[in-house]
Amino acid sequence: MFNYVLRRLFYAVPILLGVIALTFLLFNVLQTPDAAATLNLGPKASQQARAEWIKNRSLDKPKAVQFVNHVKKLVTFDFGTSWKTGRELNEVFRKGAGPSLLITLPGFLAGLIGGVGLALYQVFLRKSLMDRSITLLAVALMSVPTVVYIIFLQAVGALMLNYFPASGFDWRGWETAKFVALPIIVMAIVNLGSDVRLYRTIFMEEISQDYVRTALAKGLSSGRVLSKHVLKNGLIALITLTVATLPRLIMGSLLIENFFGIPGLGNVLVMAIGTGDQPVVMASTYLGSLLYIGGLILTDVCYALADPRIRLS
Amino acid sequence: MTFPPRALALILGAALLAGCDNNPNPPPLREKRADGSPWLARYGGMSEDPRSFDPQFMYDQMSRRVMEPVYDTLLEYHPMKTDPYEVQAGMLEEVPKKESGADGKPSYLCRLKTTARFHDDECFPGGKGRPVVARDVLFAFQRLCDPKVESPFLSNFADYLPGMQAAHDAAEKSGKFDYAAPLPAVELVDERTFRIHLTKAYPQLIYWLAFQCTTPVAREAVEYYDGKEHDGVTRPDFHKFKAVGTGPFRVVEYVPRQRVRLQRVEGYATTTFPTDGFPEEKKAWLQTLAGKPLPLIDEMNFSIIRENLPIFIMTRQGYLDGMGVNKDAFGAMVTPGRELAPKYRERGMRLEKDVEPSTFWISINMDDPLLGKNKKLRQALSACYDRQTYSDIFWNSVAPVAEQLIPPGIPGHSREWKNPYGFDLEKAKRLIAEAGYPGGIDPQTGRPLELTMEMVSVGSEDRQRAEFEQRCFARIGLKVRISENTFARLLQREDSGDFQMTSGTGWGADYPDPENYFFLFYSKNVPPGGKNVIRFKNPEFDRMFEEMATMENSPERLEIVRKMNTLMSEECPQILNFHKAFYSAVQPWAPRTHNNLMLEGGVKYSVVDAAMRDEKRREWNRKPWWPIAVLAGLVVIAVGAAVRINRRRNV
Repeated sequence: MFNYVLRRLFYAVPILLGVIALTFLLFNVLQTPDAAATLNLGPKASQQARAEWIKNRSLDKPKAVQFVNHVKKLVTFDFGTSWKTGRELNEVFRKGAGPSLLITLPGFLAGLIGGVGLALYQVFLRKSLMDRSITLLAVALMSVPTVVYIIFLQAVGALMLNYFPASGFDWRGWETAKFVALPIIVMAIVNLGSDVRLYRTIFMEEISQDYVRTALAKGLSSGRVLSKHVLKNGLIALITLTVATLPRLIMGSLLIENFFGIPGLGNVLVMAIGTGDQPVVMASTYLGSLLYIGGLILTDVCYALADPRIRLS
Repeated sequence: MTFPPRALALILGAALLAGCDNNPNPPPLREKRADGSPWLARYGGMSEDPRSFDPQFMYDQMSRRVMEPVYDTLLEYHPMKTDPYEVQAGMLEEVPKKESGADGKPSYLCRLKTTARFHDDECFPGGKGRPVVARDVLFAFQRLCDPKVESPFLSNFADYLPGMQAAHDAAEKSGKFDYAAPLPAVELVDERTFRIHLTKAYPQLIYWLAFQCTTPVAREAVEYYDGKEHDGVTRPDFHKFKAVGTGPFRVVEYVPRQRVRLQRVEGYATTTFPTDGFPEEKKAWLQTLAGKPLPLIDEMNFSIIRENLPIFIMTRQGYLDGMGVNKDAFGAMVTPGRELAPKYRERGMRLEKDVEPSTFWISINMDDPLLGKNKKLRQALSACYDRQTYSDIFWNSVAPVAEQLIPPGIPGHSREWKNPYGFDLEKAKRLIAEAGYPGGIDPQTGRPLELTMEMVSVGSEDRQRAEFEQRCFARIGLKVRISENTFARLLQREDSGDFQMTSGTGWGADYPDPENYFFLFYSKNVPPGGKNVIRFKNPEFDRMFEEMATMENSPERLEIVRKMNTLMSEECPQILNFHKAFYSAVQPWAPRTHNNLMLEGGVKYSVVDAAMRDEKRREWNRKPWWPIAVLAGLVVIAVGAAVRINRRRNV
C-alpha cells in the first residue's frame, strides 16, 4: 500500500503543475498587469500610481521569471499577501479554515446521517406510500438550486421565525452554535435529495443478498438486520462516495458562507474572485487541488481497509 | 419516572430554541458610562472589508467610512450644508485664506487647534497621546510622496504643490525617502502653524484639506507599527490595519470579514455639533444638539455583510439601525408613490432620499472618425436616449435624469437647466436626417448605420441595459452592436481610445467643485496623462477651463461654468444619463442628523435612543412555537407509519 500511495503522490505532481500553469495563464496572460492594477486601485488611479503598483508586485518582470517565482512560492506554501486587503494569506487561510470546518463538517455529517437514515427508513417501508412519498420528495429536493435553499431557509429560519441570526459569525463558546446552525441545516439539506436516492439504491441492492435472508431465517428482527448487517455492508460503497469530499471540506462552501457571512475560506474565495484578487484565487485553487488529490488517495486507502478483498498494488 | 428519549430530545430542543438569541451583534463594549448614564452603541452595515487604515494610502469607500470617525481632517464638510457643499474648520482653527507671496505665488497659512491630539497609544512615551503639531502635517505630505506608501493621491498635488513630484522621483531613484529633507510645499512656521505653498492658484486645495489623505499622522506611530517582530511580538503594520488617530473614535476591534468596532475617545474636544445650517424640517430637534461635544454616541459597530437579504432581515429585526433600500428590498419597503410602505411607517421608520454628487453617461470617442466629426449625429444620439425610462427600469425612478454634467450640490449646477438634447424623439429623427443619415440609413450602404458600444457585462442586468440602449437607438433607425467587456478591459479601452461609445461610465465627485468634472474634458488630460477618455479637444473650452480652474467661487466663475455647460450641451461629447441617488430606511431610534454625502457616514453626529431600540427588538423578535409542534408531529407520523407497517409485514 505504501508503494501505491507513493506512486499516487508522484502522479499528483504533474497534475498540480498543470493547475498552477493554467491559473497563472488565466491571470497573467489573459489579464494584463495594467488591468490588474486598475481593478485593484480603481478607475480613478493615475498612470503613475498604476505603474508603481505593477512594479512593487514584480508584475513588470518577464512572464517566465514570474512563473518560476510563483511555483517556488506555492510549493513552499508561501502564498504572499492579498492584493486587495494586504493581509498575509497564510494567516487568512489559517483563520478561515476554522469557521469553514465549523459548518462544512457538521453539515456533511448531518447530511450523511440524515441521508442514510432516510434511505434505511425507505428500505424498511419499501414499496409503501411513505416510501414513494419520500422518493418524490427526494426528487423534488434534487431539483432545487442551492441558492434557493439558502434564501428560503434564511427567510423562514431568520426572518419569519426569528430562530437564528440572518448573518454573521463570532467565536463565543457555545453561543457560536447560533451562527452556524442555519448554515449547517442548509449544508445538510442541499444534497439530501440525491444522497437519499443513491443510498436507497445501495441498500436495496444489499437487502436482496443471500445473507439477509439467512439472518432473517435465523430469527433476527428486520430492524436489527437493517441497522447491523445491511448498513455495515452498504457503508463500503458509501466510503468511495464520501471520503473523497472530506479534505475539501476545509475549503468551505462558496455560496453558504457568502450568504450567511461566515468568514471561512469559501467566503475568501468568493470575494477574491469578485475583486480580481489574484494571489488569493491562485493560492485557493492550488490548495483546493491539493486537497482533492489527497481526498482521492484517501478514498483508495479507506476502500482497501474496509474491504479485505481489495489489494492496492 | 423516566422520560422517553424522544420526549427528552423535544424538550431539550425547545429549551435550546427558547434560549437561542437571534441577535448577531456582539454585546456592547460596556453597559454604562463612567457617570452611570446608558452606554450608547450604534449598529451599521458595510458591504466589504476596509483595505487599509493608512490615511495617505486608503481611497476606497469602506476604509474611508471606518477611518472618518478615527482621524479628524484639517478641514471638514459641514454636515448639513449640502446645496452647495461647504467646508468648515476641522483640526485647523479656521478655513485658511489664499495669500500671495513676494514671488506672486499663492500660499495658505494654516494654524492647528490646541485641542487636536493623537489618541493615547503605546507608540508614544508613557502611552500618552500628544498634541498634533505642524511637523505632523509635513510628515503626512511627505508620506504622500513616498513611493513605499503607494499613495494614489500624489498626482492630484504634483502639478500644484512644489517639490512633491521631485521628492517622489528622488526616493524612487535612491530607494529610500528622505524624511529629513525639507518639502517646499509645506513650510513650518511655528509649532502649530504651517504654510502650504503652491506653484499656481489651486482653490480646490481647500477640499483636499478636508480629505483624509492630508490628515496629520504621528511619525512615532508609523515607525513603531512597522509590522515586524520586536522582542518576540509582531507589531501591527501602520500601512495596513493599525490606526493611531486624532478623531472622536478609536478602533477597538477589526475582525476581517466580520466587523469593525469603534469606541469613543474620552476627552475629545476638537469639534462640536454645528450651530447653524439646520434644515427647516429638523431645525427644532437639531437646535437641542447645537454646540454639544462630539461624539454623541459611545460605540459604533460596522458589520461586514455582503448580501442584501441579511441586511433587510437584520433591519426588520432591529439589529441594524438603518439600511440603504437596495433593489431587492425596494418593492417591499417603498410604495409606487415613492413613500415608505405603511408596514414600515407603522414601525416608526423614516425614508431618507439622497442624491449623490455623481453623474453617469455614455461616452462618445471624439477621435472616432464618424462620431467625432459629426456633431448632429451626436446630438441625435443624445436626443433619442430615454433617460427617464432608464431610471424607471434600472433605478426604480429614484435616480434623477442628468440634465447637465455638474451634479446637484456642486456650484454651477442649475435646477432650471435643461439639456437641449434631452429625450425628444421627433427632434432626434430630425437631427439624424440633418446628420446625413435620414431614418438612420447610411446612404453609402443603404443599410442602417452601425455603431459599436462597449459595456461591462457581468450579469443579466447588464444585458438588459444593453437591450434597452439598443432599443433607444433603434428608434431613429440606428443599429448599435454591443461589445461585452470586463470592467478592467473597458477601462483599458477607454485609456487607449479603442472604442466608439462606452456605456455605464461616470464620475463621483472627489470634492464639490465644477473643476472636478470639467477636468475630464480638458484637452491636456487625454490619457495616458489624464482622464479625458472621451478625447474632447476644444480650444474655447480649454481656455474657459484654465480660467475657472484657478478662480475662487464667485458670480464671475459661475458665469464661466454656465458658458462651459452650454458648450458641452451643444457639443454632446457624451450622452448624459443620470445622477446616482439612494433611498435609506432609518429606524425610529436612530434618526439622521445630517444628509451630507461628501461625508462617509458622519458617525460623530449620530444619535441613538437605546431604550427604544431594546423595546422594539423585543417586540419584533418573538419566536412562534408552532413549527416545533409541526416538526414533532411529522416525527410521530413517520414513526407511527414504520411501526404500523412493521406489524403487518417482515423484511
